[in-house]
Formats: sequence, structure tokens, C-alpha cells
Amino acid sequence: MRSTPRSADPRALTGTALLVAVGAVLGLVESAMLPPLPVPGVRLGLANIAVVLAMALYGRAAGLRVAVMRVLVVGLATGMLGGPAFALALGGAVTAWAVMALLDRVPSVSAIGRSVAGAAAHVAAQLLIAALLAASPSPLLLAPLSLGLALPCGLAIGYSARLLLSRLPLAQAAARV
Amino acid sequence: MTSGDRIVVAIVVALALLEWPASVLATGGFAVQKVVTVTAPGHSYAVPLSAERTIDVHGLEGTVTVVVDGGEVAVTEAACPDHICVRQGRVGSGAIVCVPNGVTVRIGGGPDALDAQVR
Repeated sequence: MRSTPRSADPRALTGTALLVAVGAVLGLVESAMLPPLPVPGVRLGLANIAVVLAMALYGRAAGLRVAVMRVLVVGLATGMLGGPAFALALGGAVTAWAVMALLDRVPSVSAIGRSVAGAAAHVAAQLLIAALLAASPSPLLLAPLSLGLALPCGLAIGYSARLLLSRLPLAQAAARV
Repeated sequence: MTSGDRIVVAIVVALALLEWPASVLATGGFAVQKVVTVTAPGHSYAVPLSAERTIDVHGLEGTVTVVVDGGEVAVTEAACPDHICVRQGRVGSGAIVCVPNGVTVRIGGGPDALDAQVR
């Protein structure tokens, strides 16, 4: 990936690195918590806050960096690097980023809409990968439930991200959200 | 929440509702197919419980005949002294074990089966 002029800025570099750390910690905290519902694959998606913030503050490419690096760090820390759970996490993270990056170009969609779409894309990608790994379409049966639950989770994360962005003393934040 | 956000929310809700009938049609609902796993020293077989099959398994003492039919499994013949496995008869869940031959017949993949967990 070519670095954009904005992320070559040391401020953006350290900010992105900080967000990778925040995302990794949030992901670890979340994986240590009991799932809110006994539905596989459903989680709050706290770590997505870091990706939403990175995208709003430092651009789309920074969002992808945070998404991928965060998954790598969490995979390393939980010992799941390279396993099927890792494939699910990476696929979900990259797909969520891609959808959020697309919506980033739509001016009428705010961080909340981006977060909801990212959560839904994350869930959809994970179920598709699970179906491919299991060579069976049955994981897709969970999709209506998972997508329905991705909505409140995405809204919660989106509102949190917006709240954070409004408090951050960065001019770019105000300009982009 | 902006108007664009509302459209995104509406699309997610619509996808969730539309995906439901599609996935039920594609998979035939939540019915989980049970699988009979026959394990013998050195090899194993997996047969759907709905199949009709007779398997001759080579155990430690001799041949064990496993019959799958009508959603049930039975060991009809076994080269062992006590024939505990044969006397267990036809079984629709759980397992049949022939200890002298080192052969196990296990029914799995039911609705309670959890193969792996993703966090």
C-alpha cells in the first residue's frame, strides 16, 4: 500500500499506531467478555471504534492499516493466528473496512451510517467465510439474526465514535464528521 | 443521524429480512443431519444416519458388522466373547462400543453438537 502524504505525517503515524493499540485492546477485552447473546459471531464490535476513528482522522488507508494490524495483534495475543477463527476475523475486518471506505465517499452518510454498514458487512463476511470453511450453507441461517443484531451494535459504536470525534481537539475530526 | 444514515439502516434491515427466506430455502432449515462415525483400530468411517449401509469393520479380534438403516444403527455381528455390542440392539443416539475389538460406533452431529467455537 502506498502511503498517502497525510499518513506520512508523523502525527498521523503515531495516531494510527495508537489506534491499532486501542483496537487490539478493545478486541481482547471483548473476546474475554462473555458474549452478550449465545449467537455465534455476534459481538458488540468495540474494536471497530478504532477503525472508524482512524478513517475519520487520518483517511481511508489508515482505517485499513488499523483494521488489519489490529486483527494480527489480537490473533498473535490469543494464539489464533492462522486458524479458522483468524480467517473469520481478518475477512470480517477487511470487508467491513471496504464497505465503510465506500460509504466514506458518500457525503450524506455520517460515522453512524458507516459504522452500521461496517458491522453488517463484518457479520455477512464472517458468515460467508464460515460457510466456505464448513463447506455447508448452514451458517447463512444465522444471517437474519446476526444482521439484525449488527444494527444496534453498529449504532452504538457509531454514536460512541461520533462522541469521541466531537471531543477530540483535532480540526480534521470536525471537518470529516 | 443523517438521511444517508437512515438509508443505510433501512438497507441493513431489508437485507436481514430478505436473507431469511433465501437461507431457509438454500439449507432446508435448521434440520441437522446426524452422522454415524465408526472408529476401528487404524481406520474410521462416517455414514449419514439416514443412509442404508452395512459396514464390515476389521477389529482386533475379527470382523464387526455395523448396520445403518431407518435412522438407527446396530452391531449385528461381532467377533467377541460377550456380544455386549450386539445385545445393545438398534440405537438412534449415543454410541455402541465393542471393547474387545476396539471398535466404537458413535452418533453425532445432532442439534446439540458444537464442533468449534469462534471468539
